[in-house]
Amino acid sequence: MRDQREMTRDLLSRVAAGSGATPAAGSVRSDLGGAVLAFTAVAVLGNWVQEFTAFEWSLWAVQAILALSLTLVWGYGGIFSLGQAAIYGIGGYTYGFWAINLADNTGESLTAVLAAVAVGAAFSALLGYFMFYGNITDVYVAIVTLATSLVLFAFMNSTSGSAYRIGDAAFGGYNGMTRIPRITWRLPGGESHELTRTQFLLFCVAAGLLIAVGIRVLARRPFGRIAVALQHNELRTGLLGYDVRWHKLAVFTIGGAIAAFAGALFAAWGRFMSPTVFSLAPAALVVIWVLVGGRNSVAGAFVGVLVVKGFSSWFGGASGDNEPIVLGVILILIVLALPGGIVTNIFKLKHWALNLISPSRDRLDAEVELATQQAAVYRPEPVVSQTEPRSDINLSTPESAIPTLKSAQPRARLIATAGLTKRFGGLAAVDAVTLEFPRGVSCLIGPNGAGKSTLLDLLSGRQNPTAGTVTLDSQDLTNRKPFLRARSGVGTKLQVASVYESLTVRENLWLACYAMPRDTQQADQRVEGLLDWLDLCEEAEQAAGTLSHGKKQWLEIGMVVATDPSIMLLDEPTAGMTRTETQRTAALVRQLGENASVVVVEHDMDFVRQLDAPITVLHMGSMFTQGTFDELANNDRVIDIYLGSHHGNSVSDASSADAGGSSDADA
Amino acid sequence: MSPDRIFNLGFDLATTISILALVSLGLAVIFGMRGVINLAHGEFIMLGAFATLSGTRNGLNIWLAMATAAAVVGLFGIVVERLIIRRLYGRLADTMLATWGLSLIMVQMVENRYGSVTEGIPVPVGNFTVGEFSMSKYSLVLMASAVLGVLATYTIMRRTRYGLLARAATQSSTMAEGLGVNTSVVNMWTFGLGSALAGAAGALLAPVVGVIPTMGQTFIARAFMAVIVGGPSFVLGTVSASGLLGFIENIGTNWFTPVIGQAMLLMAAIVVLRFLPQGITGTRFRR
Repeated sequence: MRDQREMTRDLLSRVAAGSGATPAAGSVRSDLGGAVLAFTAVAVLGNWVQEFTAFEWSLWAVQAILALSLTLVWGYGGIFSLGQAAIYGIGGYTYGFWAINLADNTGESLTAVLAAVAVGAAFSALLGYFMFYGNITDVYVAIVTLATSLVLFAFMNSTSGSAYRIGDAAFGGYNGMTRIPRITWRLPGGESHELTRTQFLLFCVAAGLLIAVGIRVLARRPFGRIAVALQHNELRTGLLGYDVRWHKLAVFTIGGAIAAFAGALFAAWGRFMSPTVFSLAPAALVVIWVLVGGRNSVAGAFVGVLVVKGFSSWFGGASGDNEPIVLGVILILIVLALPGGIVTNIFKLKHWALNLISPSRDRLDAEVELATQQAAVYRPEPVVSQTEPRSDINLSTPESAIPTLKSAQPRARLIATAGLTKRFGGLAAVDAVTLEFPRGVSCLIGPNGAGKSTLLDLLSGRQNPTAGTVTLDSQDLTNRKPFLRARSGVGTKLQVASVYESLTVRENLWLACYAMPRDTQQADQRVEGLLDWLDLCEEAEQAAGTLSHGKKQWLEIGMVVATDPSIMLLDEPTAGMTRTETQRTAALVRQLGENASVVVVEHDMDFVRQLDAPITVLHMGSMFTQGTFDELANNDRVIDIYLGSHHGNSVSDASSADAGGSSDADA
Repeated sequence: MSPDRIFNLGFDLATTISILALVSLGLAVIFGMRGVINLAHGEFIMLGAFATLSGTRNGLNIWLAMATAAAVVGLFGIVVERLIIRRLYGRLADTMLATWGLSLIMVQMVENRYGSVTEGIPVPVGNFTVGEFSMSKYSLVLMASAVLGVLATYTIMRRTRYGLLARAATQSSTMAEGLGVNTSVVNMWTFGLGSALAGAAGALLAPVVGVIPTMGQTFIARAFMAVIVGGPSFVLGTVSASGLLGFIENIGTNWFTPVIGQAMLLMAAIVVLRFLPQGITGTRFRR
């Protein structure tokens, strides 16, 4: 109970702190409705106020679009990019080059906007390729993107010479590029029209709202769900067979296109671009907008720009000289006090306000209490009390057949290793292991440090071997990436349950179901079957992090099963389970073994006995012996390695046993 | 190519590498030991330069002014650590953001105090000639300081009681605490050491670069790249990454322009990270 409480509290606070976005709720229709409403409001106001004011407002809209690009990349994609302002700058300059050279001839500059978007996307894709395919993560991404902007800053400052020009457009060095045309449009054969200031405002606002709706739509589509998922648990996402690198690259490229679009609008707004967009302050400004607004919400982008603008003109002094100081203070305060941003923290602020009114009750505590109670209501009585465990009923009735794909054939294949070795410095964690895991369940046991988990990592691809090979039927898997192995049918359950803790159970299973045949409808259906099979229907809408240890393990097994693997690698599936849960798991694993190869690493000998499967004993990285449970239970040498025996003899024991082991394997 | 030309090129290269090593060492110490990316590192360098400037203006001997500047920046670092960084260990992105805020504040504060005019400190030593080429003796000072800085850092980390405790706190904070180490104090000294090194770099560079409030920006891109290309074994990493990246930058600068040199440095760093995401010392060496 205590644990549950703490876990829920932890989860709630993490959600409140905005550790990451969750798939957006609601529908396209309501999003569009909101956007139309907002647009109408701006249209009415924009026509009412002075033209100059409308013009000022359009800058806010442009900046909100820039902020949206970071909301997408950072809030939804989990990529901490500090380079959005730089891509914005690239977009602006590209627009300038294009429009200055062509607008006079073609009478329109919309193609220049498109060119800016294309160049921005291409630049992001190139940079993203190096970052994500090199597996550069987190802060390294931040540093690389920031360093890139600073180099661009230095470069653009040095381009004042007359040599730096494209056609009629001069780079202009630190003086910047001047006389950039405004947005003009022309129908084929028609006259050229320049947007008036009010029209420009409406154009920017409409574009911004459409992009915001677009991001929300994207977030609800499988693509967005996967992006959110990989932000929460990159490892699991890869093990389900999703190409994490590709997804990050795609998100980053789309974000780059949006930022460049904003840049083009900015260039058209001010008719001027200067290298300062590549310096540190604008880069920080984008981050501050998104941080202040809250990086998980598209509304946050709009709110953030407005609030920060208000703050810096209020406190920044008449000439705006002290604006950086205000921004710096905002950054530090947000990081220290309000990591989720304003929009995401409104919820939290409400609690804080309520606490001020009635300080006698800790509201968050009450919230936790409530969540825990609900969880308790939903959780069926522990199976312990039942004489006839309902799990057994479930698993023996025909309805409870594993909810595999309808098309799936029993396609157990053979995963095998040959001379597989993994060294860490001088230590051989796995030493020349040659093994085959045929259809059905196989167990790997051995004392701590025997190399079981490392062996499993080599099979799943989380680590690459120093020597030797891993093969699946005739395919060589040895150096293949984990997500490609997952796609060829290797499913992995890790030692510590690795699920998406802050997503619901249903979302967890959905991501697993969608991984294999990329079919939304089929995935929706299969989730129901799996919930039923795992007996998690009542917990479906609960965050996976609030599940008990045992259920979390089941959920992870369920996710592995959902990808319909022909090889399943289960690392300590019963860790943290009660005796009854262990029994149920044993039945479940046996059932899985009927049409797949299941490799189980386990410490719990009771569980191993229940599996009734061939057992391989590992010791000091090598195969020690193989046999059935009863054979091994009576094998003195096996008992010795578990109990340590006489320390002095163990080495010679092991080596002689090793020889025995390999002859056992031949038998 | 004549021998004096070759000597000149080598001298130039050694200067570039020394400067790179000087500006990255402090950052590397803080990142390597505490996993904190100090985005205000450039501003710490700037502060060192300005401290030297006001030292000399107030009649201090220039070498004394430099030493004082390093100490002042070190103290400033300790204050920053106690006020902000202390609360953020383990939250990488947050420390970056907070130090970024700090950097914005520092630039503006210094600008308000000193204005944004480039200030100069006269180079305290003269030139010497090899063949047809005249070279600055001050470059020799920079080289010697870089070597000294690296050796001193290595010695502090390996040979002193503080170094042992700091490494212990890095590898397992809870274990170190369990053994009675006050990791909080150790962290404070680590951040102070890194800051002092940044201050020293700024002080040493003050005579050869324009001292302006935004001067930090010109160094941090390179310093960051050197640190992440260097990888986890930070003393060795900084030396090797400075050597590699400094070499590339020097080629770009000599053949084209300084800006192209910087761009080449960045591209080289990104390519290295594409294939060695843990940096040069990532897989081969222990911390």
